[in-house]
Amino acid sequence: MSALKITSRDAATGPVVEIAGDLDYDTAGRLREVCTDLALHSGQRLVIDLAALEFMDSTGITALIAARNHALAAGADIALAAVPDNTIRILRLVGLDQIFPMHPSTEAATVGAG
Amino acid sequence: MIRRARGSGADGTGATPAGESADAAFPALLEESPEILYEQAPCGYLTTMMDGTVAKVNATLLGWLGRTREEVLGRMRFGDLLTAGGRIYHETHFAPLLRMQGEISGVALELKAADGTRMPVLASSVVTYGSEGEPLLIRTTLSDARDRRAYEEELLRGTRAAERARAEAEEARRAADEARRAAEHARTQEERARKEEERARRQAEQTRRETEQARKEEERARRQAEQATKDAEQDRRAAELARKQAEFERQQAEAARRDAEADRARLQDALGVLQQSLLPDHLPVVPGLEAASYYHTASPERLGGDFYDLFPLDGKRWAFFLGDVCGKGPQAAALTSLTRYSLRAAALHDPDPVAALSTLNTVLHERYTGGDPRYCTTVFGTVEPDPATGHVAVHLASGGHPPALIRRADGRAEYLETPGGLLVGVVPEPHFTAAHTTLAPGDTLLLYTDGLTEARTGPERALYGDDALRDFVADLPDAGPGALVGALTALLEGFGTGLDDDTALLALGAPKDTTATSATTATVATATATATATTVATVTATTTPEPE
Repeated sequence: MSALKITSRDAATGPVVEIAGDLDYDTAGRLREVCTDLALHSGQRLVIDLAALEFMDSTGITALIAARNHALAAGADIALAAVPDNTIRILRLVGLDQIFPMHPSTEAATVGAG
Repeated sequence: MIRRARGSGADGTGATPAGESADAAFPALLEESPEILYEQAPCGYLTTMMDGTVAKVNATLLGWLGRTREEVLGRMRFGDLLTAGGRIYHETHFAPLLRMQGEISGVALELKAADGTRMPVLASSVVTYGSEGEPLLIRTTLSDARDRRAYEEELLRGTRAAERARAEAEEARRAADEARRAAEHARTQEERARKEEERARRQAEQTRRETEQARKEEERARRQAEQATKDAEQDRRAAELARKQAEFERQQAEAARRDAEADRARLQDALGVLQQSLLPDHLPVVPGLEAASYYHTASPERLGGDFYDLFPLDGKRWAFFLGDVCGKGPQAAALTSLTRYSLRAAALHDPDPVAALSTLNTVLHERYTGGDPRYCTTVFGTVEPDPATGHVAVHLASGGHPPALIRRADGRAEYLETPGGLLVGVVPEPHFTAAHTTLAPGDTLLLYTDGLTEARTGPERALYGDDALRDFVADLPDAGPGALVGALTALLEGFGTGLDDDTALLALGAPKDTTATSATTATVATATATATATTVATVTATTTPEPE
């Protein structure tokens, strides 16, 4: 168990949110708050960088879905970057790999929106 | 003058008739004999030998001395006629000067009369010499100096008076000086006294001020003490108040704690009831099918989000589902409830697994959207036992749920993969993956939630995982649903704190033989004998095996 740390910055394509530590029942609410407060504009891409993610449970998945809903409501899209293997396994298990584009890195995720 | 007149009268010879004029008398005076002039001259005449022995003396002097001629002539010396002081002065000054100078005049001496009275005189003497120039006699004139002496004495007296006055003046001056000094001293003393008094006054003033200051200090100290007393009293009251407040709060807290405990107990009861409403009290008895289930609750406060069900669809098919809603607690329970009854309703409308999941998806997606998404993973399926063969046809579909595991009677264990099935409720038009299989007698289909496969085991807290589950199930000697659920229950209990999520298990199997089937089912649901009979009747009515 390690504390969740969330940092956000702006890339050319839009906000990049980096998540480090455990995203679980006790911490997922913070990601949802951060995403809700983001200034997202139509045509931008919200990139969530999971390179330093250590653990994610179903509430973490909920937070990702909330982030996706938030992006879509703003006319933007969403992408995951540097998703750990175990998280990829879970995402595939629940079929979310179909609705979350995944990139090997934030750099790759922020090279144009297309 | 009187004496002369008296002498003239006493003499008688030179008496002049009273009626004679002055002019007529004058020649008579001139005719006085030298002897009378000598004897009755207004001064004393004295002739002595060189040793002072009186040789001749006139009557005037004898009269002054009160002695007779016989007493004096040839018997007394000039010095014998003088007072003791006069005699010494005569012998030491007068006589030597006279012998040396031959004359001396105006020397004051004092005669001593026979009766002892004294008479001041002025003496002048000349020495008469012989033909050879040898001194022979001393002629001396003595004039009465009593008036002079009186004058001198007066003078002396005046002098003395002056002297005395001077002395007195001096004395007065001294006295004045003394007085002045005394006055000065007194003034100094007074000044000192004044200064002393001034100092004393200042000191008194200082003392007064200090006393005043001290009084003020004391007053201030007294006020401070009073204030401190008041403060202390106030503090004491505040402390008392705080203590009472604390006591009150403690009682409040105690009451709140009791209330909370009571609430918690009530909530536990409510949650327990609610939890029961989310799960079937017991599994129905299905002819030609053996079923077993287990539910593990990780936390009583966090109402579980896992669910399962088994219920009849029509005369020959039964529907089952097992799933996991996101989150925990009341919202999850509400979602679970919604999911359960939505699936039941959907299955009755259209038992096709994908259709049922799609209906559920629509319900959830419309109900929960935006910033508070709610979804679930679900495996939904139907079973249709074939009484003739003892086989059970299984059709199912998965929405984001882990694949079902099949334990074959021969010991193989394999997953019934349903890749690509999306979580139910996330997107409007999701894809759900369908699959089907047939359970031969002795085969068992296991449905589980990810509490099992996501459990952490061992010191490394490694993920238990799909492979471990498959191997565990494959290695079991008895693969019937009851045995399988029993073994997995023991496995879950062995995980301890590694199992931190709710876990639901549902096992459906085709009995090894028909007689054994009814027995197993009866043990699972002994309470519903009537339902068992009904179900058996239904099973016997439908013997058509599903094609394919």
